[in-house]
Amino acid sequence: MRLAPLFRIAWRHLGHSPIRTALSVTGVAIGGCFMILLSALMAGFESKFVDETVESSPHVTVLDEFRDPPDEFAGWLSERSGGVVAVESAHPRERVYRIKKPWETLAAIEARPGVASAALNVVGTSILNFGNREVGAALVGIDPEAQDRVVATDTYMIEGRLSDLHSASGAIVLGSGLAERLGVRRGDTIGAALGGEGGTRALRVVGVFKTGVVPVDGVRAYTLVGLSQQLLGLGRDVNRIVVRLDDHTQAREVAADLEATVGYRTESWQEQNENFLALFNIQTVITYVVTSGITIVAAFGILNVLIMLVLEKLPEIAMLKSMGFTAADVTVTFLIEGLAIGALGVLFGSIGGYWLQQALAAVPIPMKGLIEIEHLIFVDSPRIYGVAAAVSFGSTIFAACLPALRAGRLDPVVTLRGRA
Amino acid sequence: MNRAVATHAPAMETVALRRTLGEGENALEILHGLDLVIRRGEFCAIMGPSGSGKSTLMYLLGALDRPSAGAVKIDGIETTRLPEAALADVRNRKIGFVFQFHYLMPEFSALENVTLPMAKQGVPAREAAARATELLGLLGLAGKERRLPARLSGGEQQRVAIARSLANQPLVVLGDEPTGNLDTRNGDLVFELFERLVREQGQTIVVVTHDPRLAARTQRIIRLMDGRIVDDGKPAEVLARAGERG
Repeated sequence: MRLAPLFRIAWRHLGHSPIRTALSVTGVAIGGCFMILLSALMAGFESKFVDETVESSPHVTVLDEFRDPPDEFAGWLSERSGGVVAVESAHPRERVYRIKKPWETLAAIEARPGVASAALNVVGTSILNFGNREVGAALVGIDPEAQDRVVATDTYMIEGRLSDLHSASGAIVLGSGLAERLGVRRGDTIGAALGGEGGTRALRVVGVFKTGVVPVDGVRAYTLVGLSQQLLGLGRDVNRIVVRLDDHTQAREVAADLEATVGYRTESWQEQNENFLALFNIQTVITYVVTSGITIVAAFGILNVLIMLVLEKLPEIAMLKSMGFTAADVTVTFLIEGLAIGALGVLFGSIGGYWLQQALAAVPIPMKGLIEIEHLIFVDSPRIYGVAAAVSFGSTIFAACLPALRAGRLDPVVTLRGRA
Repeated sequence: MNRAVATHAPAMETVALRRTLGEGENALEILHGLDLVIRRGEFCAIMGPSGSGKSTLMYLLGALDRPSAGAVKIDGIETTRLPEAALADVRNRKIGFVFQFHYLMPEFSALENVTLPMAKQGVPAREAAARATELLGLLGLAGKERRLPARLSGGEQQRVAIARSLANQPLVVLGDEPTGNLDTRNGDLVFELFERLVREQGQTIVVVTHDPRLAARTQRIIRLMDGRIVDDGKPAEVLARAGERG
């Protein structure tokens, strides 16, 4: 098969009715463009969430509990007696939740492969008040220097520094959302309910941080370890160890390894954010369904245009065949036309998608949901362009196949008889 | 290129040629066993009333269609069992078609239309353009090579179509009422061209025509009636006999 004359015929067909060609190309381009735009936007939100989460939360958290709760006597008795003996109204044993030998455990964790750094934390909930306002906070007792090596915290400070926690005996750093709800700023003095003994303690706000992850900024507050222990009534106990990894994508594996090493239950950041990550998966599926719909509509447009073209060219197809062009030649000619429309559509769609991303990213659209953003975020990854190109191009070729095969199969004698 | 030396050797041949259209109950035999030899260098007209099978015979002679029974030989090649691609190649190399409608590609200039059959054969573009220019000149279209078909008159369009049919120096030019859409003057012009091609280049030409005046200018008339050859001979004799019968 000699392709040169086929390319020439296809090219002339397309060039002869530029408006029709432009419309088909536009159809493909719009499909591709929106596919790129939506995919990039969705991926943008996801990656922003993941980045912020990975930066602002520990990759792995070691908890002060065990995955399998310790056997209670009542259950043990019932099982051993084959159900003959049952204990009614059994109370679980009072247990103090804490990590035993925290410094040894910390050292053991830091020695494991894949662990970059680890720090001791004291966590619990505390009621903060300022005037009449009372807000529940997730209190985290930290050592600022050790903590910053595990979770980027100081970089998110919008007022004061994390190290300012050392500056006063009752110093506290608040998340921006928390500070907003309390209505306080740096330098204000707030009250915190004392756990255990009762009463309140006055605290001085020495800083405010903002990670952009709304659920974090709205509840978290940092103090030094000792102060948290006092506020939560924990004595000298530590109940969390937070861990940073060399590679955050390995969190599930390392978490399992640490759990096996130290015995305490561990949670990877994925496990802690499972709901949100599942949501992103659903979102990705929806994106592809919607954009595939657009692409299919565009493909139908091409199908239409090519069927019209074939019908219009019936006599010429008959003539080509009587000149010695084969069915395959004719099919390839129309496929080339579909291919050209697809290729041009993908090209313009990609340019359009890129351009629209840039334009939309420049427009300030402040949004506060799961994450807080000032602009729409797009992920400009070659993969997104690749998928969009493949889908648009593929559907175009698919749409071109039907009319092209039909054109090839046309019996010239039938056409000539009809016209003679 | 003079093919006169090869005159008298058969260019195409049919043996007990039958063609049935439709299937089952709707099957209708159009040609009932035709035996026919077209010799090289012959200028031959096929006449007959509508529905007598003239066009069907043309499509079979031109390898556009295959016989239901019997055989068609083009330059000794039996077309009945040739695969599609080989049949297309026979059309490309051996046959030049001219139809009632010119069927020129409206997007291609006159010159490009003429080069198309050569492009299919892989003739280099420069060479094809040179031959096309020569052919268009021969047919009185010098200076109009770059025009699109829409900017040519009906007669000119048909002459471009004839130039195209000659592009690959075919063994036989087949004309299916090539003057059917032309006025008398242009019809005469086309036949003059055919006569010249036969005389000067030894071109074999077979034309279907309704017009006895034009048929009279050929060397041989084959009369078809209801799918059978009812007369075959020198134009004057055939036309006279047809006249006697009314």
